[in-house]
Amino acid sequence: MSRAPHVQRIAERLIRASCRRLPGELRAERCREWSAELPAILHDETIRSGLIRAMRALSYSVGVSTATRRLNRGDGRSRRARASGWRDGAIHVRPGNLAVRATVGLVAWLLTVSLTVSLLRAFPTGWAVVISLVPAAGFAVFCLADLARADAVRYLPKWAWALICVAQIPSGGIAYLSVGRVGRARPAPTGSA
Amino acid sequence: MKLTGPLERVLRVLTADLSAQHYGYDLMKAARLPSGTLYPMLARLQREGLVQSEWEAQREDAGGRPPRKYYRLTAEGVRVARLELAHASAQARHAAQGTAARLAQEGTR
Repeated sequence: MSRAPHVQRIAERLIRASCRRLPGELRAERCREWSAELPAILHDETIRSGLIRAMRALSYSVGVSTATRRLNRGDGRSRRARASGWRDGAIHVRPGNLAVRATVGLVAWLLTVSLTVSLLRAFPTGWAVVISLVPAAGFAVFCLADLARADAVRYLPKWAWALICVAQIPSGGIAYLSVGRVGRARPAPTGSA
Repeated sequence: MKLTGPLERVLRVLTADLSAQHYGYDLMKAARLPSGTLYPMLARLQREGLVQSEWEAQREDAGGRPPRKYYRLTAEGVRVARLELAHASAQARHAAQGTAARLAQEGTR
């Protein structure tokens, strides 16, 4: 298979990039260990298609990136487990009622839509667009700033919320604030967790 | 030690054959885990002294293959893993019996 050496080079590069995250004493050893697994994947006899072996090798390298992040944190827990830290008392904010939060978000969204519609009726189109662009941009920036400062978010990883906030300017931000937001943690009374 | 699903699968693979040498990809396949989950778990087990790793000696017949890192349970690891797995099986059996009893009860009603 002529593809294998090519894929191996790409995968090795990915692994090296991930290993740079690790502290010095671990870096070289881990890099050697993970690179040594690549030939085993690329020449795995149990997988017949070379394309699937190549994909497996690449997904392995991407997984290594997750592994280095978790190794640096020094725990085996996933980010999702961290995001739901309120469950073991790390973040002293109760989840609140999802139905209530979602309803509040929906009402806020309906208000925004009706406001925009009335704006479009009251002003000529060009002006209305300009007038609504400024608060829209401000709102997106506000959401992203809030997201960046938050210690944890609910249901989705931070990057997913950021994507949603940017992709759907009013409604994504509203969804984040009403459903995903936890806010900043107050210091925990016990030093555990 | 909290026995989660992935951890249980890894321990079952490792206890299945104590003399076997497992490298990372081998364990990934056997325990059906992605690399991002497996390696941090192995590192944690190693920190707790339950798993030990060693580098494969460079062999002449390896065909230029780089040496691998092999993982296996320590004596303490074998003890803890067997205990935890037995506990998990007992719990599963207990839960199954509870369900069966409840079903039987509902059936007689």
